[in-house]
Amino acid sequence: MTTEATTTTPRDADGNTVLARIVTVLRELPDAGLEDAEIGRDTLFHDELELESIDLVTLSGTLREIYGDRVNLALFIADLELDEIIALTVGQLADHVTASLRATAAEG
Amino acid sequence: MSRFLLVVPPLTGHIGPLVGVAAELTRRGHETLWCGCADRVRAVAGPAAAVHPAALPGTGAPVRPPGLTGPAAFRFLWEDFLVPLAEAMAPAVEDAVRAFRPDAVVTDQHAVAGALVCERLGVPYLTSASTSAELVGPLDGLPKVAAWLTGRLTSLREATGDPAAAYDPRFSPYGTLAFTGRELLGDAPLPSDRVHLVGPVVTDRPRDTGFPWDTLDPSRELVLVSLGTANTDAGARFLHEAAKALALLADRVQGVVADPGGHLTAPPAGVLVRPYVPQIQLLGRARAVIGHGGHNTVCESLWHGLPMVLAPIRDDQPIVARQVVEAGAGVRVRFGRVDAAGLAEALTTILDDAGGHRTAAAAIGRSLRAAGGRHAAADLLEQLVPPRPAASAGR
Repeated sequence: MTTEATTTTPRDADGNTVLARIVTVLRELPDAGLEDAEIGRDTLFHDELELESIDLVTLSGTLREIYGDRVNLALFIADLELDEIIALTVGQLADHVTASLRATAAEG
Repeated sequence: MSRFLLVVPPLTGHIGPLVGVAAELTRRGHETLWCGCADRVRAVAGPAAAVHPAALPGTGAPVRPPGLTGPAAFRFLWEDFLVPLAEAMAPAVEDAVRAFRPDAVVTDQHAVAGALVCERLGVPYLTSASTSAELVGPLDGLPKVAAWLTGRLTSLREATGDPAAAYDPRFSPYGTLAFTGRELLGDAPLPSDRVHLVGPVVTDRPRDTGFPWDTLDPSRELVLVSLGTANTDAGARFLHEAAKALALLADRVQGVVADPGGHLTAPPAGVLVRPYVPQIQLLGRARAVIGHGGHNTVCESLWHGLPMVLAPIRDDQPIVARQVVEAGAGVRVRFGRVDAAGLAEALTTILDDAGGHRTAAAAIGRSLRAAGGRHAAADLLEQLVPPRPAASAGR
């Protein structure tokens, strides 16, 4: 986990910042072998990164450590149809995080 | 004596455990009949196996793109294989039930036609679960995916089963023979108290593979690399890296690679590559296994107390691999990305007895051996047979 994470504030709800953060988290996934992988908005979570549901669980936990309870990836995944899960991109994950942060920032 | 019908899909790993159960039932004086793809059943159960042949859908064996993994592989498995398989097999299962009049049926979890025909005709049946993955709620947290699968099973049921039934046809209300052990499942609750963890059925598959036993070097640790029977097309890159990893460790390791696809045309010196290997005998002499997390090879390895490097490809394999890692008996690597250096490092880790992987594997192996296997499964099937009125006992 990155140490700067704890200082993150809702002002980080900028989409590109979130995307960059998620890419970093993916590269650091234990044993995933993604250190040097090309990862962008359109990268497919399953087909291209060869990640699995267990990795979504890990990712979900890491994002919660970074952003707190404002981001609930498990709920987002639970709402997806099978075809949507197959086509899931890194950009969609980033968009979900960005939207969650903006929603809670607006509430605050 | 009773009659038992065994309904199976054309998948070697699913037929395997029931071969031992059928042999045990025969030994006890019962009559058994298989229903499935005759060639595939006889390839696993032996040429003398009695088979009521069932048609395969479309052109025959499933051809799944080798690169298909994850949820896309799941969709293909059900939509393009298991659902059409159930539709194709249902008439044959019904014919077999009417002609053979089994006292009880055992049907593979993924040969759904067996369950649906039995429920419609009122024949008692047990489910055969040849992997631990379906027992741990693999679709928990994915309610819409679970609903997608339930929708397909419901459509099948309306066509071939009892439309009034409401249970999951992958788990018989009479019970499930799960050929796995508690140690692999961890703390996961079972889907019902009618799921019986009978352990694996480890059967020697005697077959003259012409294996060059005299080339094995007793001064080095024997490591077997096997990707099972269903992943021949997907394994080329991985097998190359595995062979290189074995060569990197050649001073202490002797590697044997099962390569049914013939991918390794020029293996590194000292690495033994064979299209087929006598797996059970090799496991008896091996020190570790590199595999894909197929449930049968995993159980056979643990049965022999061997730690594993696991590179799951798809289907139940990521779940089984995770179970082995969480039980402390293995290390997991990424099938599509790991290189020779990474495999060598993982192999070194499990060969180092200070890491505890071998101790954990041996403990799991002991409990798998104690779970009852074919004997426990045969007991449960016998208990399923309804008592006959005395008058008709002579039949």
